[in-house]
Amino acid sequence: MTISTPPSIEISNTETIPGRRIVEFYGVVTGNTVRAKHLGKDILAGLKNIVGGELKAYTELLQDSRNEATQRMIEEARSMGANAVVNVRFATSSISQGAAELFAYGTAVRVE
Amino acid sequence: MGQNFELLVNFGLPLILIVVAYFVGSLLEKRHYQSIRAREAEYFGFPVVTFDTMPEDWRVSSSNLVDGSVVVSLDYFKRIIAGLRAIVGGRIRTYEPLLDRARREAVLRMIESARRQGYDAVFNVRLDTSRLANARGNGEGTAGVEMLAYGTAVKFASLVR
Amino acid sequence: MRFIARKPRDGINVSDTHPLAEAGLLVVGLSAIFLALVVAVIFFVELALYLVPADTEARLFRNWLPADLVTVAPDDERLYQAQLLLDRLAAHWADAPYDFTVEIDQSEVANAMAMPGGLIVLTSGLLDQVETENELAFVLGHELGHFRNRDHLRALGRVGALSILLATVAGKDSSRLSLTITDLTLRGFSRKQETRADEFGLAVVYAEYGHVGEAWRLFERWDEVDSGTLEVASYFSTHPQTADRIDDLGLLARREHWQLDGQVTPLPWLD
Repeated sequence: MTISTPPSIEISNTETIPGRRIVEFYGVVTGNTVRAKHLGKDILAGLKNIVGGELKAYTELLQDSRNEATQRMIEEARSMGANAVVNVRFATSSISQGAAELFAYGTAVRVE
Repeated sequence: MGQNFELLVNFGLPLILIVVAYFVGSLLEKRHYQSIRAREAEYFGFPVVTFDTMPEDWRVSSSNLVDGSVVVSLDYFKRIIAGLRAIVGGRIRTYEPLLDRARREAVLRMIESARRQGYDAVFNVRLDTSRLANARGNGEGTAGVEMLAYGTAVKFASLVR
Repeated sequence: MRFIARKPRDGINVSDTHPLAEAGLLVVGLSAIFLALVVAVIFFVELALYLVPADTEARLFRNWLPADLVTVAPDDERLYQAQLLLDRLAAHWADAPYDFTVEIDQSEVANAMAMPGGLIVLTSGLLDQVETENELAFVLGHELGHFRNRDHLRALGRVGALSILLATVAGKDSSRLSLTITDLTLRGFSRKQETRADEFGLAVVYAEYGHVGEAWRLFERWDEVDSGTLEVASYFSTHPQTADRIDDLGLLARREHWQLDGQVTPLPWLD
């Protein structure tokens, strides 16, 4: 499947990219990632549990995971020749102690 | 003597389990991927989308909720690696094929369920993961990971799509 | 909008690192970190020993008794005699910073331990096995040697610090594995400590009796027994192989020109 790759991919969690029209749709694309935070930050988070408030280390962990999952989803879409991904949704779960799995999924389409 | 035997049990047994888990796990993984690729090729062309409203030109005669799910277990080798990885942080690369397989398997089962009931497409697909905890040991540790795919399957009224 | 069936490129969601490569990297990396931790622990324990001199330790741990000891009554004849012997032996160590005391632990396994603060714990099993006062004197002298080199604190400090570190890192899962690793790592160090304690012990015996005859007869008896026997098993775990130890003691006596023959003193509580 030789398809020219478009320069950038737009994503949205709505039916369509605002202001654009979908001409073709190809299927579901997903991006998956599972990461662990390193021990030092884990311990600091444990201490933070005592006083309460934002667990910055875990916020960062999930943010990084979300970005990576989104990148992989976009990569799948790009390899299909799509130039946009719509109806994007995220799902998080914890697989084991200290490790979080995150995936992003949506439908790869071509808009104009 | 006594202490040598103790060493053997403390180190040897886990080592044997790790080796067995690695080799058997790799074999099972390879086989599963073959099955997944074969079925994905077979169902190629079956529309699966996450739109929550149908495309305008779809005329449907009936619809139903369909789902596919699978539970995979984390083998011993992968758990050890993940434990080590939790010390230094970063991507747990050994879990990735596992989750990839689980997700693709769940979607395939959803498609199979839809096809078996005579439907032609699935839309508003959603994916969900949940972790199953061990029954023993007051719920610590992970027994397995469940991947669920569900959506609305539709049957086209006419062949014009 | 038109549906066109397409599929994404395979393998985007999977890293192409081989699992064994990742495993190998993690194991090697973490082992290196572990070794660095061990070195750091040893350094800091030495520093702590330097900063806490023996008399401070003696003051801090005066009258301290480990909680899980099962001790014999204070008026036990053997305890009384052992204390007298210990006092005589300790007198040869000028300016000893501790007031040495002895306690007997009710246990069939033969063992002798040096505890913080100048406490020596002997097991009743050990006292059952000694046949002459000279043998008991060497055992006590050996423990005095440990106090001289402050080995007891060194061992406690290293094992304690390393166990805590491993527990923090490994969590609740691998406590057994981490104990084994700790044990293995530190076992190598205690051999040298034991040899130095032997040298001190023998010197004290010579100072008390004028000869070193029969001092290590206890170990010769143990060497003859099958080492799988339960009673001697625990003693073997941190002490140098008995045969080597006996040889080293013989060499030491010859080097220092300490006679091996002389009047052997019977145990004070017999008959």
